[in-house]
Amino acid sequence: MSYELPTFPYVTPPERAGAAASAPARYPLVIVGGGLAGLTLAADLASRGVRCTLIDEDDTVGVRGASSRGIAYVQRTLEIMARIGIFERIAAKGATWSVGRVLAGEEMLYRFDYQPESVSRQPTFVNLQQFYMEWFLVDRIVELGLTDLRWKQRVVGVQNHADHVQLTIDSPDGPYTLQAEWVVDAEGVNSYVRQALGLKEETERGQDRWCITDVRFQQQRPQERWTWIEAPFNADRGVWQHPMADDVWRLDFQMAPDSDPVEVSKPEVARERVAQMLGPDVAFELVWVGPYSYRTMLMERFRHGRLLFMGDAAHAKSPFGARGGNSGIMDADNLGWRLALLLQGNAGPALLDRYDVERHRAAEENIRITARSGRFMQPRSEAEFTLRRAVLQLARHHAFGRQLLDAGRMCAPHHYAGLPGFGPTGEAGRAVPNVPLAPDTKGSPAPALLDVLRAAGSDLVAFVFGPVPLDLAAAIETAGLPLRLHACTDATATALLQRLTGAPAGGVALIRPDSHLAAALPDRQAGPLIAAARAALALEL
Amino acid sequence: MDLSTPRFDDADGFYATLLQAHEGLSDSQSNLLNAKLVLLLANQIGRADTLTALVAAAREDL
Repeated sequence: MSYELPTFPYVTPPERAGAAASAPARYPLVIVGGGLAGLTLAADLASRGVRCTLIDEDDTVGVRGASSRGIAYVQRTLEIMARIGIFERIAAKGATWSVGRVLAGEEMLYRFDYQPESVSRQPTFVNLQQFYMEWFLVDRIVELGLTDLRWKQRVVGVQNHADHVQLTIDSPDGPYTLQAEWVVDAEGVNSYVRQALGLKEETERGQDRWCITDVRFQQQRPQERWTWIEAPFNADRGVWQHPMADDVWRLDFQMAPDSDPVEVSKPEVARERVAQMLGPDVAFELVWVGPYSYRTMLMERFRHGRLLFMGDAAHAKSPFGARGGNSGIMDADNLGWRLALLLQGNAGPALLDRYDVERHRAAEENIRITARSGRFMQPRSEAEFTLRRAVLQLARHHAFGRQLLDAGRMCAPHHYAGLPGFGPTGEAGRAVPNVPLAPDTKGSPAPALLDVLRAAGSDLVAFVFGPVPLDLAAAIETAGLPLRLHACTDATATALLQRLTGAPAGGVALIRPDSHLAAALPDRQAGPLIAAARAALALEL
Repeated sequence: MDLSTPRFDDADGFYATLLQAHEGLSDSQSNLLNAKLVLLLANQIGRADTLTALVAAAREDL
């Protein structure tokens, strides 16, 4: 069995349809690349009523045919997809999980459950083949009807000017040129635009080799993430086992560093590997085999004038902890509302510099954490192997040993504490989970944080804990900022939101359209709230 | 940071206990024992600045 992927219609671009225009047309915003990051941004913008053009080199989803690549989507990603309007579809198709186990051979070293600490409406994780996620995003973009989707087109030339970017694009009807006020590059790690402009980045190639072997089998296994650090059925190397949609399991095998990717992905070799793991009695079907190695790459800056970079085009890392796809989606989440405000005339380019500041720090953190996991999964010397063996033995009996055991730390939204535009309190900068704001009534769930944020479009929302004073409402009205007030009158129901934001009763939590807390204020005075909003919007104080 | 002041209840006794623990082990088992002991002791200490200083002190003269 292999996957059936959709194809999307190529439409002759206007530039090639009529008589050649005397000057290239000017577009407000062009996204290059229809992977997770690019599609999330286009869908997010459309959900905010913003039109854009998206260029993708093929006419389907997934990477080179049916490859599935990313699988684990974390809670923050699921919240973003809920805001965009495709969470239900993702949850219905994918495998929801919250429990992970780390094993040594037959023996379980420990088990952890993320659910008890979760307060969001969305589950902790859903596993889903990446192409389904992209497919649902495309469907949503088409449904919203605001995006000019240009399939089978590829950027082959780029010029970065002071007030626009000029792109030369290859299409099945021949090349053409367009100009864009803003361009977001989401082409992935081999970004043409980044390389053509020779933009500064640092790359380190990894020696670690893995081989994804997606299989379907008829055996009940728990819907959990299992990790073997030293799997006896894989020559004491690492193995991951993840449930996915369509009863397919992602088995990811660590290979010897000198292994030949062609050899390890031969069907008979892959089948032998799976048989060693599942045992002789379990029948299975190979769905997809994909060998990979990984690299670490970080661009020096994510904004270059009118050009912005996100996802793997800006930063690449090992897959440990699902920090690739999820962080690309979080880049799009960070950028969408800024571009919407900018294109609607409610903010200036300074707001885009904050994208670079915030997401660069998030990328640094993701690279630091994945590099540590990578080194745990592939020790570099006999001494490192010995230390890892010590950790594995201690983890059986001692909680502190589990702290040292690092088989990938799951991606979490970055805490932007201390960066420009955030208030001074400890919680400012955190992503606020999608908590309910009123008690559930029979039959219908109560409104939650995301419902309020979605209804506010690209405005900041000030959650006021208590009645809204008349003079506060009047002052916000006069200020003319993309900012609105939301009265939290049910103190019991919003106690959790208060605790998460650190705003006291009678205070205010100022939350951005991407759910991050801009500031927590101790009272309901207009002056400090307007100052906090201007800071969050990168406006002069 | 003072890493030199003697703190042992019974230094000779500890050394003897350590030697005894290594008796009958292969080199790789001994290495593993040492590594486990380092991690157990490190967790007992806990403080990051102390641990950093201890690692640096151990690296001296190598």
